[in-house]
Amino acid sequence: MTAISIEGVEKRFGTVTAVAAISLAVNDGEFFTLLGPSGCGKTTLLRMVAGFADLDAGAIRFGERRIDRLPPHRRNTGMVFQNYAVFPNLTVAGNVAYGLRARGVAPAAIVERVARALALVRLDGFGERWPHQLSGGQLQRVAIARALVIEPEVLLLDEPLSNLDAKLRVEMRGEIRQLQQALGITALYVTHDQEEALAISDRIAVMRAGSLEQIGPPAEIYSRPATAFVAEFMGVTNLLTGTVLGNAGGRLRIGVGGIELVAHGRGVAKDSRVSLSLRPETLRLLRPGEAEPARWSRIEAVVGRIELLGATTRVECVAAGDVTLRLVFLDLVPGAVVPGASVALTYDPDRVAVFPAA
Amino acid sequence: MIALRSRSVFPLTVAAVALLFLGLFLLYPVIAVFHVSFLDKTGAFTLDNYVRILGRSFYQQSLWNSLGIGALATLAATAVGVPLAFCLARLPVPGKSAILVLAALPLVLPSFVGAYALVLLFGRAGIVTHALQSLGLPTGSIYGTPGLVWVYTLTLYPYVLLPTLAAFKAVDVSIEEAGQNLGASRWRVFWTVILPVVIPSVLSGALLVFMETLENFGVPFVLAEDKPILAVEAYKLFVGEVAANSASAGVLATLLVACTTAALLLQRYYLGRRRFATGARTAPPELRVGHGLRWLATAFSWGVALAALLPFLTVLAIAFLEYRGPVLHPNLSLGNFADLWHRSSRPLVNTVTLATSAALGAALLGVPVGYVLTRFRSGLSSILDVVAMMPFAIAGTVLGIGLVVAFNSGPLVLTGTPVIMVIAYMVRKLPFNVRASSAILHQLDPSLEEASINLGVSPVRTFVQLTVPLMLGGIVGGMVLTWVTVASELSSTVILYSGPWATMTVVMFEALEGTGAGIAAAAAAVLILATALPLLLVYRLLRRYELAMT
Repeated sequence: MTAISIEGVEKRFGTVTAVAAISLAVNDGEFFTLLGPSGCGKTTLLRMVAGFADLDAGAIRFGERRIDRLPPHRRNTGMVFQNYAVFPNLTVAGNVAYGLRARGVAPAAIVERVARALALVRLDGFGERWPHQLSGGQLQRVAIARALVIEPEVLLLDEPLSNLDAKLRVEMRGEIRQLQQALGITALYVTHDQEEALAISDRIAVMRAGSLEQIGPPAEIYSRPATAFVAEFMGVTNLLTGTVLGNAGGRLRIGVGGIELVAHGRGVAKDSRVSLSLRPETLRLLRPGEAEPARWSRIEAVVGRIELLGATTRVECVAAGDVTLRLVFLDLVPGAVVPGASVALTYDPDRVAVFPAA
Repeated sequence: MIALRSRSVFPLTVAAVALLFLGLFLLYPVIAVFHVSFLDKTGAFTLDNYVRILGRSFYQQSLWNSLGIGALATLAATAVGVPLAFCLARLPVPGKSAILVLAALPLVLPSFVGAYALVLLFGRAGIVTHALQSLGLPTGSIYGTPGLVWVYTLTLYPYVLLPTLAAFKAVDVSIEEAGQNLGASRWRVFWTVILPVVIPSVLSGALLVFMETLENFGVPFVLAEDKPILAVEAYKLFVGEVAANSASAGVLATLLVACTTAALLLQRYYLGRRRFATGARTAPPELRVGHGLRWLATAFSWGVALAALLPFLTVLAIAFLEYRGPVLHPNLSLGNFADLWHRSSRPLVNTVTLATSAALGAALLGVPVGYVLTRFRSGLSSILDVVAMMPFAIAGTVLGIGLVVAFNSGPLVLTGTPVIMVIAYMVRKLPFNVRASSAILHQLDPSLEEASINLGVSPVRTFVQLTVPLMLGGIVGGMVLTWVTVASELSSTVILYSGPWATMTVVMFEALEGTGAGIAAAAAAVLILATALPLLLVYRLLRRYELAMT
């Protein structure tokens, strides 16, 4: 159980920079997720921690100890691979015992620790089975038990759920989180799935093209994205671009198309171009004659397309100057909301994220 | 990507050992042959050898014969292999898997035994020839071009068949359906869509056939008679009954290397890349055809597969008949085998010893090389890749001559020892072992090895304790194939062997030249059994990797 510190780490493949001078610190016992689209460098960064990719610059430490020069088999990390990488020529118990044997643990102790590890991932009694007899979810549990049984300093997970079906994915991520909490182990997790990252992490680092976009706890990343990229990557949003019309002590008036939006932000000069993100669920529809809540803002618009998505309904509204705003209703839309109807929308300016124009 | 810095010791060691081995036992001997061909009797540089040899129409003829017969055989093998591939891929032919087993055999059975069978049947004193003559019917000669093309076609057609079959099976049925949907007839779709997609595979197999015909020594030795053939003439000049002439032999060997290298380069770097992947998930379905076509396809497929094996079956049968001098009598007898055994049991022991050593050696060298080539990409590995494929382009005759010239004197004298034979076999079979092991490795996810390393096992131990066991099926398959092809190797053996280390192939070779027809037949039968049986035993293992051969 160890903190990880990544200091100015760089990796180039030929002329392509896979990881560009990244620094970040993972706290002891923290569940830390590297999130980003494919090719953003998140897997390369994880593999540098594991020792499967060399650093072109920078350093990686576990606690105070520098580990980036150690060969991968001396780093004492437990890695869970995307495709499980369960050895097909060994039984479940043989797989879990593999790392213990490499460490010269006494046979009696191996038996006991393997049994405990299998119990931990709810595979008691599966020790004598062969990998080809197991389902994807069970293979994933074997891979996790195998990584945990060696009592690694850090647990590394490389998109471990991407080969599972949707339902199992949700179940397994809960289990992984629970195990990590129970053992108090430091975990570095790689995924391209923002929902998974939000659900499982203590903190998330969003990466793009080899660089960090933002680090923070899930709620902050989602509702206060630092860049347009993060705003869009973390979920559906209304991403608008406009000009600052006025700044009154951090309360910004921003002209977008033919409407004026209000948001909070510091250090934004008048007349500068900004982007802003307004999540669909933060927009509310006002009933006819209803006034907006205190300190909230109001937008007049016309209903456009309506899409039923199942549990939710998405409504597109068009405001003056062709500004399209998407709303999400968790319940059925009121009967008055039909294409072409005039409606009034309202939102809390606190929930509008502002950043320099993309 | 693999961390080269922290894990570079292993690949570097493997690459160094392999490059050293091939440098010493492949490049150096071949260069020695080139070198010799430019020296006069006093050891000074000269082009006289080339002027003299190439000025003689006999040797010019040997070059044209080799190329011409090779071209004819390549055309014939393609004409047999492509329709057969189509029958097996798309037509309802009963017993397809049996045909495939049979069809793969001619590649590893000793081709000169096939040639010998042809002589036994249709030669001047052949059984069929005698029968026809006694009926007063006219007989043609199978010596020279017709016999050579016939034998090459029937022993080498699998080189075209196997890749073409794979290509036909890889054609996604939806591109056919798209063609038909756009209004093309089935026939038109075949000519305009399917055939163009498989053509690169066909050509690449055909070039392998061409290379094999150029390199082959045993078949022309048996069948060419007075028609000069490059590989045979190089051998004759080198061992020279009157006066050995390594300079002249070097000239012919250089010509041979030039031809085979050109064919190999064409095969590798032009055709190897022109593959159309259509990404079929499942093989396209069998076509529904009428009874007539169905019978035709069945007769053709079984006919080819059996015709290719018929010579070998004939030899087996003849070996169990009684020979009185050169005359065959229709009585069952083990006399030929008794004669063979009484003469000396040593050649059989030699064959087993040498083939086993070579199979072990080639695997020991080839498997790590295949591993490094597949798992570690670097400048060094691309050099290794090229060098490890070079033995393909060097005919056995040339390698044999080169090894003798290179290790005849100097600090390392190996000529006349069994070691030099094993080395020659290892060099010749290395490309196959390398390709077989990288073919399996492509199916093994690299993250298995990473998982092992991550769990604390060093890369070298991971290779030994995890990767090798996972590759075992393929490694054993590769070793068996090496074993059987070494057991029937002739071209470098006849140059390199010394008295006590004569092999079964040498016994046959000598018997062909002399009188012992019965002994030759028995030796041939032993060779056939020694190659066919192990293959059939491990066929299941081999089937997955049969394409690695081409």
